[in-house]
Amino acid sequence: MNGSAASWLLLATWALPLLLLLAGLSAALRRRLPSLLWLAPVPGLAAAVFALSAPALEIGAGPLRLLFALDRPGALLLGTAALLWMAAGGYASSYMRSSSHLGRFAGCWLLAMSGCLGIFVAADLVSLYAMLAMLTLGASGLVIHEQTPRAWRSGVIYLMLALLAESLLLAGLVLLAGEIPGDSLAISDAAAALEVSPRRNLILALIVAGFGTKAGLVPVHFWMPLAHAAAPVPASAVLSGAVVKAGIIGLIRFLPGSLALPEWGLLLAVIGFVTAFYGVLFGLTQRHPKAVLAYSSVSQMGVVAAVLGVGLAAGDDSAGVAAAFYASHHVLVKGALFLSVGVIAYTAAARRAAVLVPAGLLCLGLGGLPLTGGSLAKYAVKGQFDTGLVAWLAAASAVGTTLLMLHFLRRLARFEADPAKTAAPAGMNLPWLVMAVAALLLPWLLYPAMSLGAAGAALAPAALWKALWPVAIGAGLAFALRGWLERLPRVPEGDIAQGIDPAARAVARWGRAFDRLDEGVRLWPVATLSLLLVVIAFGVALFQS
Amino acid sequence: MVTPPHGAWLVFAAAWPLLVMLLVIVMGRHHAARLALLSMPVGLAVAILIAAAVLPAGTPLVYHVGGWLPPLGIGLQADGISALMLLTTAGVICGAGLYARADFASLPGAPETRRSLVFWVLLLAVWSAMNLVVLSRDLFNLYVALELLTFAAVPLVCLDGRAETLAAALRYLVFALLGSVLYLLGAVLLYGSYGTLDIALLAARVQPEHATWLAAALMTAGLLAKTALFPLHLWLPPAHAGAPAAASAVLSALVVKGSFVLVIRLWFEVMPGLWSLSATQFLGALGAAAIFYGSIMALRQQRLKLMIAYSTVGQIGYLFLVFPLAFDLASQQLQAGIALTGGMLQLVSHAFAKAGMFLAAGLVAVSLGHDRVADLGGLARRLPISLFAFGLAGVSLVGLPPSGGFAAKWLLLSVALDTGQWWWAVVLVLGGLLTGGYLVLVLVRAMEPPAAPLAEARPVARWREMIALALSLCALLLGLVALGPLELPPMIVTGALPGVAP
Repeated sequence: MNGSAASWLLLATWALPLLLLLAGLSAALRRRLPSLLWLAPVPGLAAAVFALSAPALEIGAGPLRLLFALDRPGALLLGTAALLWMAAGGYASSYMRSSSHLGRFAGCWLLAMSGCLGIFVAADLVSLYAMLAMLTLGASGLVIHEQTPRAWRSGVIYLMLALLAESLLLAGLVLLAGEIPGDSLAISDAAAALEVSPRRNLILALIVAGFGTKAGLVPVHFWMPLAHAAAPVPASAVLSGAVVKAGIIGLIRFLPGSLALPEWGLLLAVIGFVTAFYGVLFGLTQRHPKAVLAYSSVSQMGVVAAVLGVGLAAGDDSAGVAAAFYASHHVLVKGALFLSVGVIAYTAAARRAAVLVPAGLLCLGLGGLPLTGGSLAKYAVKGQFDTGLVAWLAAASAVGTTLLMLHFLRRLARFEADPAKTAAPAGMNLPWLVMAVAALLLPWLLYPAMSLGAAGAALAPAALWKALWPVAIGAGLAFALRGWLERLPRVPEGDIAQGIDPAARAVARWGRAFDRLDEGVRLWPVATLSLLLVVIAFGVALFQS
Repeated sequence: MVTPPHGAWLVFAAAWPLLVMLLVIVMGRHHAARLALLSMPVGLAVAILIAAAVLPAGTPLVYHVGGWLPPLGIGLQADGISALMLLTTAGVICGAGLYARADFASLPGAPETRRSLVFWVLLLAVWSAMNLVVLSRDLFNLYVALELLTFAAVPLVCLDGRAETLAAALRYLVFALLGSVLYLLGAVLLYGSYGTLDIALLAARVQPEHATWLAAALMTAGLLAKTALFPLHLWLPPAHAGAPAAASAVLSALVVKGSFVLVIRLWFEVMPGLWSLSATQFLGALGAAAIFYGSIMALRQQRLKLMIAYSTVGQIGYLFLVFPLAFDLASQQLQAGIALTGGMLQLVSHAFAKAGMFLAAGLVAVSLGHDRVADLGGLARRLPISLFAFGLAGVSLVGLPPSGGFAAKWLLLSVALDTGQWWWAVVLVLGGLLTGGYLVLVLVRAMEPPAAPLAEARPVARWREMIALALSLCALLLGLVALGPLELPPMIVTGALPGVAP
């Protein structure tokens, strides 16, 4: 495929879902949309394969022109995310068949997909921000879809937190745009300008806070368990697999590559490891398999942040690709596991082994079991997690992950089945198996393709042993603690989000005070007096000059 | 002197709606709607022609009526601000007029109503007055234009004649007159001191002295009262929420902006060097208070149209952030730069977005028979296009790309951060969050299933929904203008104009 055609794929990546969304304005086409969802990410997948070295696509000529391009981290995440959106889209058309409001679901799905895939190809500040906004709106719709009180609460908390993150990002991006020489708004120029900016610390703080919230790092992680548990299964899969990666790709693209910033690196690494262990700890208290998976996602995003933090501290510019590789494995494995929750609900107890065995393999793979894609993901970040305390923390997090994932497997095995169903339809089984196989095998293809090195090196005896022992300890712990884990008190999903409701009530009281204030301000004597005061105020301000 | 080509168009732009208005009065009720609508493409075309002559070249169009130069004669001038305002006015009036055809056309055979005739007369009067406000170059002329605007706008509020709307209109009238009195007092002071009210001549003559300061304070406060800047907004919510939808759209999108343009003229053109840092910061602080106050009050509203009206109170606040952002510390002057461009972009995109929003809300009220936010359930099924129009307008108000609101916010933010005035950046960002809050509240309610089975839906014509959508799309696509090769021209051209005696 020639370069310019590949460039147009970058446009089609986010434009095709958007076009399908517009087609949904017609009632006749709207009915056909759910069965077309799986097709919409095809250009994204093609772009990930063909457009890596294609020239950037430029739209417009003014100062706010749009730019689309693909770098290696973007290609890794775009390809795996597009695959997940395809599988989950096919899964959704079967899983959601009897659900009401299918048209709205498809609309939100396409909007979120357009934004999610668009973020990976956006190469300028404005289109990045636009994609984030579309993603937020669409994803909130997916969370709220079932319209139970719980879904409403989760959706609104998600939306508010996402908008807050975007506000922080907007301030950071505008500041950064001011630092770029010339009128370019390209992300690559922005990242270069950030390294030498006199306002680097402020901009970094805004950007890390904004993308960190999007990636679900502690202490702004609580939207993830809420949102992922409330959404329908295929939506949870894409939210947890693909959508959170928006935060990761943002951190990868904006954090300085080869410039060492020890303080910022340390801060990010500490936040990352705290998040990694926090997610494990609170995940173990969960009963619903989707909630356990959501906390596991919190934990895994913590690991990715720690990789980036260690890389930032050392000025190691290979950390970005390594983190993207780790995260792209997480896209596949977490997507597959979320899909398995829906499959198991349709599967009678006698037939569950066919789901539980591959799911178990994926679970151990996330811990780093040798020969799985997960072990290669862990191997890819060896450069960052090589020595000293960091290596021990990484190994401990692998132990924790194994423990948590086996807890998930137990919850999955005991998940209540729909008594009317005996086996999941092919429309659900197929996507789940495709994702499971992809999670196990695809990393082995991607590793050399992204010129990270020869995948065979991960099969050396020393590497195998290093990957195996944390999994073995985790499995041992899971067996030893199985009774104790069942007795753990159940922490509500979203742990610290419990504090939001009292806060909201307090805000509502303030709101009533505003009503009374408005009645006062709009009284004639008060308004006329205000007018007089405005005259006096301007008079005074001018006399003083 | 030689008048530049097209100068006479300026007179035509201001006079054409007025002429048609007179014709409507003469020809009577049956032809009112048809005449007004037929005249609209002409008005729109003139606005486009003037904008095409002014915007790309960046040079103003000037016309001196009768060839007499100021201070004796009256000059009309179109600069960047005027061109943008002419286009916006024409666009919104045409949209509102087409939309209103269903409400105010007197059908043959049906009993005639006075209110349909009055509506078209007032709509044309608003158009003429707005054009005069943005083209005039003389403070007294501007006073007359502003009064014309007020007197055309006030009756639009109480077209249905309910006691409630009459009270709102009266409230509007009295407070606007208070504002006029203050403005006129200031203008008299200036005339007494400098012997002219021509903007260019005054700019050359004003001195920093007591009379000027007092005049500036009086005129500014008077104009703020007419713009309904917090805390002088007492009249706006009932007036804008009570008027018929098409009238609300015109009032919220255009009329309050007329007096704002005058504030710009006064501060940036008549006396750019007179203002102190504290005066500009104070004006910005009022704007910031308006943003928070209006947005929070919008969140509290139970009625859709009142919510949109309070949203206008908040959105007006953004316009006044221009003043602190445009104040140059080194020269102690207001400078028409990126901040003013951002402010004008905000003005135009708010005008289109708010017009689209009010028209969509009008259709909601027609279809459901009420506009209670809590009972909007099922709306997404019933009026998907209207809701889409509402949502797109919301995208611009919140400031998400690619809307005009985003481009405006981006420009204002970048100036705030470049000049180290981070507090205005915080205001801009938080204001967007609050705006998102009240819009999401509506969209979420509209997508809920109805609480009770809906009563028989009153049908809403598809073309009316499309008009609301078209206006919202204008606001959305305005941001794309910034993507194109078109560089926005300077909003204001200062310095001696051709033909103006020093």
